[in-house]
Amino acid sequence: MQTGEDQLRTWMTAGLDGDAAAHEALLRALVPLLAAFYRRRLRGAEHDVEDLVQETLIAIHTRRASYDRDRPFTAWLYAVARYRLIDHFRRQRMTVAIEDVEAILVTEGFEDASSARMDVDTLLATLSPKQARAIRDTHVDGLSVAEAASGAGIGESDVKVSVHRGLRALAARIRGERV
Amino acid sequence: MNTEQLIGDLSRDVPAVPRHALGRRIGVGIVAGGCVTLLLVAAVLGVRPDLDAEMRGFSFWMKWTYTTSLGIGAVIAVMRLARPTPVALNSLWLLAIPVLLLSGIGIGELAGTPSRDWVVMWLGASWKACPWLVLALSMPIFIGLLWSFRRLAPTRLRAAGAAAGLAAGAWAATLYCLHCPEVSAIFVLTWYSLGIALAGAFGALVGPRLLRW
Repeated sequence: MQTGEDQLRTWMTAGLDGDAAAHEALLRALVPLLAAFYRRRLRGAEHDVEDLVQETLIAIHTRRASYDRDRPFTAWLYAVARYRLIDHFRRQRMTVAIEDVEAILVTEGFEDASSARMDVDTLLATLSPKQARAIRDTHVDGLSVAEAASGAGIGESDVKVSVHRGLRALAARIRGERV
Repeated sequence: MNTEQLIGDLSRDVPAVPRHALGRRIGVGIVAGGCVTLLLVAAVLGVRPDLDAEMRGFSFWMKWTYTTSLGIGAVIAVMRLARPTPVALNSLWLLAIPVLLLSGIGIGELAGTPSRDWVVMWLGASWKACPWLVLALSMPIFIGLLWSFRRLAPTRLRAAGAAAGLAAGAWAATLYCLHCPEVSAIFVLTWYSLGIALAGAFGALVGPRLLRW
């Protein structure tokens, strides 16, 4: 489970006031966040991911004076993480495709996006595989009905019906959970 | 080393960081470097003997206002660039104000001087040395700022280096005023500004290498 901005910021502020336990809790909570951040961008270089996570933790620890308490913590966190990643590429003399630069630079809302994706995954898991796939193809990945149909090897009307029934089931479930 | 162990080690030493730690650290770097520069001005160049009388005159305060306002603007830029989060630097055009004001004074001076004396006024007695002295005197302050950056997190290294160089140059020029006997506005506008710009260019050149973390 990933920790939210409010909790992280509380820990960071307490750590800045000299609370070692809060600082430790913060660093511990950052490990999965940073690992996910780097894993998404390095695709499978698991050893590098661990190194980068550690380097970033050290940078966060030694350079915490550069955090402004009045500003969002995660923006600062990912700015540090992004710098460490770019420095990593530089050290490796690796060239990055221009599309990937976009992915590296745009990290604001990364946390929101990843938790939203987790919500979608949880909800879709409650449906039948056929309905889940139809909804994912047409509503999340943005395929046309025809593309989704040929990809899944079923008829177009079958896709439409699956999407329709799946969405209705999800709507009922969400309403049921909220009431 | 595994991550658990690292977190344990890091959490053993958690000194409190006061709210304005960033500004304080940059201030300490500049003041420490400035003390060395001041010492160099006093010991190597010598404070001008008529400083007392001069401080009651216009040209001294004109020079000081010019260099300190550049210095303050550059320090603000340094403080912004010391944080990793993206910053807007468009307020840097405010640095043009002292330059324009001094140009105005310079034009007024030229208008009141016969044109055959213009070159003498412009070159003064020390135009060859002035920019280089400002550049050399900026080094201790620049080194002080490098020390400040060690606990800060600049991500635009060239810009941060340039801002640090400008700040160092402007404050070095401020201290150099204690020695420099020149009085004309166009002298200051040309040769002081050149020295400060050289310091900024030096910072931009070495920033990516020295500020890396």
